Amino acid sequence: MPSVWVLRGVLAAATMLALLAGIPEDYTPSVFVVVVVALGATVAMFRPEHLALSITMGIVIVWWALQLRSEMPVAVLVVAAGLIVAHVAATLLAYGPRSLAVDPALTVLWGMRAAMTWTAALAVWVVARAYSGHGSPELFWLAGLAAAAIGAVVGAAVAPLRAKETRG
Amino acid sequence: MIDPSSRWNPTSSLGRALTVGGVGVALALAMGRPAVVVLVAPLLVAGAMAVLHRPTREPRVFASFAHHQLHEGQGMRVRLESADVQDAEHVTRAMVPQPYLALHPVEGTLGHLLGAEGIEPIEASPRRWGLRLIGAEKVAFTTAWGGYRWGPVALPGREVAVLPTLSHFHSAGEAPQPIGLIGAHRSRRDGDGTEFSSIRRFHAGDRLRRINWRVSLRQGDLHVQSTRAEEDAAILLIVDALADFGISEGVGGSESSLDVTIRAAAALADQYISGGDRVSLRVLSPGGEYAGYGTGTRHLRRILSLLSRIRPGVPRDVAIDQIDFRATAGTVVVVISPMLSESLATATVRLVRRGLPVIVVDPLPPGSTPTVYPDADAEVAALAWRMRLLDRNHLLARLSASGCPVVPWNGPRTLEEVLRRLARRGQLPRVGGA
Repeated sequence: MPSVWVLRGVLAAATMLALLAGIPEDYTPSVFVVVVVALGATVAMFRPEHLALSITMGIVIVWWALQLRSEMPVAVLVVAAGLIVAHVAATLLAYGPRSLAVDPALTVLWGMRAAMTWTAALAVWVVARAYSGHGSPELFWLAGLAAAAIGAVVGAAVAPLRAKETRG
Repeated sequence: MIDPSSRWNPTSSLGRALTVGGVGVALALAMGRPAVVVLVAPLLVAGAMAVLHRPTREPRVFASFAHHQLHEGQGMRVRLESADVQDAEHVTRAMVPQPYLALHPVEGTLGHLLGAEGIEPIEASPRRWGLRLIGAEKVAFTTAWGGYRWGPVALPGREVAVLPTLSHFHSAGEAPQPIGLIGAHRSRRDGDGTEFSSIRRFHAGDRLRRINWRVSLRQGDLHVQSTRAEEDAAILLIVDALADFGISEGVGGSESSLDVTIRAAAALADQYISGGDRVSLRVLSPGGEYAGYGTGTRHLRRILSLLSRIRPGVPRDVAIDQIDFRATAGTVVVVISPMLSESLATATVRLVRRGLPVIVVDPLPPGSTPTVYPDADAEVAALAWRMRLLDRNHLLARLSASGCPVVPWNGPRTLEEVLRRLARRGQLPRVGGA
């Protein structure tokens, strides 16, 4: 199934993008980390329901947590996009057996969902950037979590409508 | 105990979104990394949305079939009826691959968003006669945001009788010794038919519309035009299902010997029953399928149904050369067999010696080989098969010499010329008793 192979490629590419998105800003992972993440992405390509993708995404997040302290570079948004795209690709691949062709309508629906959830990352990032160096750490966290909560509520309100539109 | 697959269960997608998101938030709090919240925020939103769409009703599904019987190459749509699927957003169907069953979509898998038109059907087309399991599949429903999945639940499917193809050919060949009262075969006796026989003097009881006025005026005496009666024949089809030789690829592909046998029997039964003849079927197989003499569409359906149930093998409870084929005088016996069984050859010769018109139809496709055990020496197997074929050729030659024509199956017209020859031979004057 060509569509399945495209989706597998997207999964692997998005995972690697999440790890390597910081290279232009001098956040370069070691070869070992790249190899481990690449292996995890490869396993996830063929077994999208396996724990391998969760572990690989965890490794990426831990690596970024070690790299960043209080900084909030633009690359973080790309990493967030990479992680949600990898998650969505794995979700789409797990809808049926390997022989199941990817439904275009479902892919469009999930594309919109991914874009919508990514806005939550954008909201947190904007709030964090706005408050960086101005407020206390507690205020910063409250602002970030509030932005995430607002994003979730907005997403919950919009999502069923989107699904119905796509079905109709 | 309830099958866990028939309940809604959280998906790996939901688990991943909540686990990775939760770990990210914990990490951000523990290490004081605000950027990590940005990384996992989309996953947390996706997980939250999936949880919000938690299902409350258990779906119910069952397959519906439009047909219980099909001919080879015909197709049908396997539909799924469902109820209480309001919580589901997506359905996935995966049909279990079966031999000689073509599916559309090709892989037998189908997935789509649920809409007002319900669940899309899967098209199935059996490619070979026999009992075929259609509709054995697994079905799964997924909620919006991929948080929960119901199934995959296995549906058992249904065994459908796949009848051999029919060519609907009507033979012009005569039956050698028609014996019945009705039918389309020309009788040797005069009677109430349409084919001209002779012009003779008027007898008491002759119909007035038969009077030939021109001859009567010329002769000065009443003359009538007599016709030949039209009668039906009794056909006994003996089907050799003792073994299957060659490779079967289903309808349209290469045929095994049993494929040719079954399709030939079906074509002949259709041909003669359509012509008003009485046809009987005797299958030499472990099942010992048998249909007595009969005619009509219903009888044809019964014969086709019996043919579709044949499984090759040697009959367990009866010796072939001791079978009473119930062939009365005048019955045309058609033996469809590759004649690789000596006992069947003996039984055939016995029928010929009874004075019955017997025709052997050879269904063995050229170049076909038997199935051998995987550990058998290929050279020895090939040599043994060659010897077997030599024996067979010898046997067929002896059958021909004993007055039993042997013809390879070449479509429904196969028997026409042979039957004509047998009919001519049957009309010749005989010296002595039969």
